[in-house]
Amino acid sequence: MNFPFGILAISGRWFLDFLAYLGELGALSGQLVESIKLGAIRGRLMLQQIVTIGYGSQAVVIVTGAFTGAVFTAQSYFKFKDFGIESSVGGIVSVSLCRELGPVLAGLMVTGRVGASMAAEIGTMKVSEQIDALRVMGAHPVDYLVLPRFLAMVISMPLLISECIAFGLGASFLVGTGIFNIPYAWYWKHVVDHTGLEDVGFGMIKGFVFGILIVLISCHQGLIANNGAVGVGLGTTRAVVYSSLSLLVCNFFLTFFLNYFFPLGSAM
Amino acid sequence: MAAISYDKPFIRITGLKKSFGEQKTLQGVDLDIYHGETLVLIGPSGEGKSVLLKHIIGLLNPDDGKVELEGTDLSHMKERELLKMRRRMGYLFQNAALFDSLTVAENVAFPLLEAGIRDRTEINKRVQEALELVELGEHKDKMPVNLSGGMRKRVGIARAIISKPDCVLYDEPTAGLDPIVTDVIDLMIQRLQKRFQVTSIVITHDMGSVFKIADRVAMLKNGVIYFIGTPGELKQSSDPEIQNFIAGRSGMCA
Repeated sequence: MNFPFGILAISGRWFLDFLAYLGELGALSGQLVESIKLGAIRGRLMLQQIVTIGYGSQAVVIVTGAFTGAVFTAQSYFKFKDFGIESSVGGIVSVSLCRELGPVLAGLMVTGRVGASMAAEIGTMKVSEQIDALRVMGAHPVDYLVLPRFLAMVISMPLLISECIAFGLGASFLVGTGIFNIPYAWYWKHVVDHTGLEDVGFGMIKGFVFGILIVLISCHQGLIANNGAVGVGLGTTRAVVYSSLSLLVCNFFLTFFLNYFFPLGSAM
Repeated sequence: MAAISYDKPFIRITGLKKSFGEQKTLQGVDLDIYHGETLVLIGPSGEGKSVLLKHIIGLLNPDDGKVELEGTDLSHMKERELLKMRRRMGYLFQNAALFDSLTVAENVAFPLLEAGIRDRTEINKRVQEALELVELGEHKDKMPVNLSGGMRKRVGIARAIISKPDCVLYDEPTAGLDPIVTDVIDLMIQRLQKRFQVTSIVITHDMGSVFKIADRVAMLKNGVIYFIGTPGELKQSSDPEIQNFIAGRSGMCA
């Protein structure tokens, strides 16, 4: 093929594959909505998933939040001290944790921990015909596998993010007041003055959306797995990579969208 | 033998075609299966016997042709409609396909729970019965990973028959089992047929089983039904290909 057309063909194929992928995700969402409408909720499976996804991810999310809050406090303090506004560190850390760091970091950690295990578990079931066995026995794979994970995720994500933010702020408080000797009252006043309910809501909404993204992408990779162990490995990798990337891209657009409803400052 | 009615087919397969990429697996299969009969499907490996079985239960969609269950076309049904139809059938997978997150008893109880039965004592009773039928009564609390291949297969059989389906599809029920257990499984298939008029479709390579359990035998070769008839007719066939297959002669020299 001639030089320019070859490039067009490759990028065109790539684009078409991408559209096909979005179509498959759309189809899975459709089945999920249908499954919700039919009320095919399996309480026991959902509770099991809440334990795995929510309860099990707490340690990871708390450590992430705490150390991020601590280091962010230190870095902000070093720079803010130059301007003599070091006591306002609490405000910036708190708003950042609520709006960006909490949801994004917790989302990424949950992707790595939960998204991978979802894709691997469902993928293994697919390649060992266990999904076909479900279908044969009259259980829809989306009802049985995807819906409980979806519900568990949308319930757990906002709570995990809250924990991430709370522990981040706690660590920030300890570092700010303990190491850098910012007076308690000053520190706390800045936190309260600059953080509103809308900032917390901002993070919760993001968490909800990220939860949906992680579940859809990871379960989809599991459900389409083939080619045995290699296929499951590939699916797991893709689940984590696609979820993380889509989470970061989606976060950018979500920030602008949500800022329209919950504006921060007077920039927009 | 229980009464088999040959006037109206229970399952009718017409012109079934299926390809996987370049590989044309089924190339126009026509087959009628009647209420209460045991049909044994034989044929060389890799010629699409399992694929045919998966079409009957709607796990695969045909490229062309159709599968009808008592006159209802399954091949163009939506998954959710198919789920209801499938509850009338049991299916044994070649590798048993047990859920490895559930115990043996939970695996066997699965079809009952899906059918909406909630009475714990009834479920436990039926699970125990089904497991004793395949001689695994004492292994019910084990996880599938801790079972041997043959035991897994027997759990798969227990799971396929527990909901007393009208029709059970067995994909190599006796492959890898010792001769005694093979006989137990063969007798069990016969017993289900006699007692509950269960229709069975069995894929097997064990010629002993074929002559023991089959009411009719179908041979799938080159993507079509190459032979169909009673075991007696199979034995009498003058076709050298069939005779070689029955006797296990490859025609190669040592």
